[in-house]
Amino acid sequence: MATLRRLREVPRHLLVCEKSNFGHDKSRHRHLVETHYHNYRVSFLIPECGILPKELKNLVTETGPYYFVKNLPLHELITQEFINTFVKKGSCCALTYNTNIDEDNTVALLPNGKLILSLDKDTYEETGLQGHPSRYSGRKIMKFIISIDLMDLSFNLDSKKYKRISWSFKEKKPLKFNFLLAWHPTGMEESTMMSYFSNYGIQEHQPKIAVSMVTDLQCPVLQSSELRGKLEVACSARELFDWLGAVFSNADLNNEPSNFISTYCCPQPSTLMAKASLCTITGFILPEKICLLLEQLCHYFNEPKLAPWVTLTVQGFADSPVSWRENEHGFQKGGEHLYNFVIFNNQDYWLQMAVGANDDCPP
Amino acid sequence: METSSERTGSGPRMERAIYHALSQKEARELDVQHPGTQRAEAFVRAFLKRSTPGMSPRAREDQLQRKAVVLEYFPRRKRKEAKKKSRGLSARQRRELRLFDIKPEQQRYSLFLPLHELWKQYIRDLCNGLKPDTQPQMIQAKLLKADLHGAIVSVTKSKCPSYVGVTGILLQETKHVFKIVTKEDRLKVIPKRDCVFSVETDGFLSYIYGSKFQFRSSERSAKKFKAKGTIDL
Repeated sequence: MATLRRLREVPRHLLVCEKSNFGHDKSRHRHLVETHYHNYRVSFLIPECGILPKELKNLVTETGPYYFVKNLPLHELITQEFINTFVKKGSCCALTYNTNIDEDNTVALLPNGKLILSLDKDTYEETGLQGHPSRYSGRKIMKFIISIDLMDLSFNLDSKKYKRISWSFKEKKPLKFNFLLAWHPTGMEESTMMSYFSNYGIQEHQPKIAVSMVTDLQCPVLQSSELRGKLEVACSARELFDWLGAVFSNADLNNEPSNFISTYCCPQPSTLMAKASLCTITGFILPEKICLLLEQLCHYFNEPKLAPWVTLTVQGFADSPVSWRENEHGFQKGGEHLYNFVIFNNQDYWLQMAVGANDDCPP
Repeated sequence: METSSERTGSGPRMERAIYHALSQKEARELDVQHPGTQRAEAFVRAFLKRSTPGMSPRAREDQLQRKAVVLEYFPRRKRKEAKKKSRGLSARQRRELRLFDIKPEQQRYSLFLPLHELWKQYIRDLCNGLKPDTQPQMIQAKLLKADLHGAIVSVTKSKCPSYVGVTGILLQETKHVFKIVTKEDRLKVIPKRDCVFSVETDGFLSYIYGSKFQFRSSERSAKKFKAKGTIDL
């Protein structure tokens, strides 16, 4: 009975909706986009649009490459050379590939120079570095988080802290992972990652881009000032969120009783759009690129367009140890952490941030 | 003659009583001449000697002093003294005595290297020579009962991250704690609980789970170890 009850339980999830204007001084959109580091999938939906505008298309194809390195030992990430070449000059992001956040050891490098290690109990007890238990452990603590500040370390290479960390990574418990790396250089430097990690079998990948056109789409009617929706006039932010998920998963939105897969139907009031373009970029995408994309989408409404609003959705890696800034992220029955912008033609926007069960509240 | 028979028993008084000088009046009445103390004493002694021919002088003295001869002896029930058991000192007293403290000037790693050599030799003898093909089980069994003073131990795993990596020569082993001197000449006290130590002997690396090892080294040699519970820290 208890098992059945547990299986029927829906894990807790949080959805934070806020509205603001891009021109507003205190608008947090830049900060939130830039502090969400590990982005897996970016998609945007433009209703009433047949072909993507040229600038958008260029930007989409120019989202930079990301790199995949096999069996990179951890001590390579704390060498002075690496810190000077990549971490200090630009924003370098790294994440271990194919490690489950709730089972295995995971390592992430954030652009602000912090190296986050999320280790299981046995590994933590063997490395001998000071860390703290994860906030989402039960009675018996099985996961520990160690946070190393690389910028701080690089000031003083003879410090005891640095010596202990390199002793631990080189001799005591050498750990090797497959990493996904991406680097956005400040200044006009070429990306030298390929040559730096050449002896570890580094491969360059371009993000996958999928552009599709959806016809005869039922879209909800929204009013930018009414976040909660108004009866018979506009839909609420939550309904829009659900609808967007249904569109992205190509579900039929007509609530046919014979439809086995989905009985979802578009929230009312809705209008019928003849066509809408849906573009998805999948890969290891840097926050800077998403900022540029967001700006470009704002400029979409510089010329009058048929569409009342456009949406931009960004999903993070389910196995990332952090969600926003350094908030801890965990995986219970789903490890989602994503955000969604709804951009209106008067430069208003709605921002929705959603997290799963083992997560802190989004900022 | 005036004799005072009130108090008998004590020698000098008795003598004074016997040899008490006559008062002048009595002497005139009885027409006795005062012979003098010494002459009187000599006279009495000679008289006693003549009267008791069979007795030794000592026996005569005893008789005079009326010493009793004890035939049976019934001692009074004295309070029994607490039997002094060799219980040893309690931990507090031992700590106060500072017998087992190692003074700072003696805490040098180089001083204990010969001890380590001795220990290696001891282990080699214990295991009948450490050949590469000796069975690990045998080494394990022997190490469980062996004395580890002088071994180089290092902490491989511990619930507290700052203990991990401490390596040095073992100086003292108490019930719960290892006292180790490291290469930097520092005395480190490492609790055994929730730690895994590694001991290396001639190519054989053994891991000691400290939580199961919490016995005094003297008691450990007689202890039978059972595999109970989990070795998870």
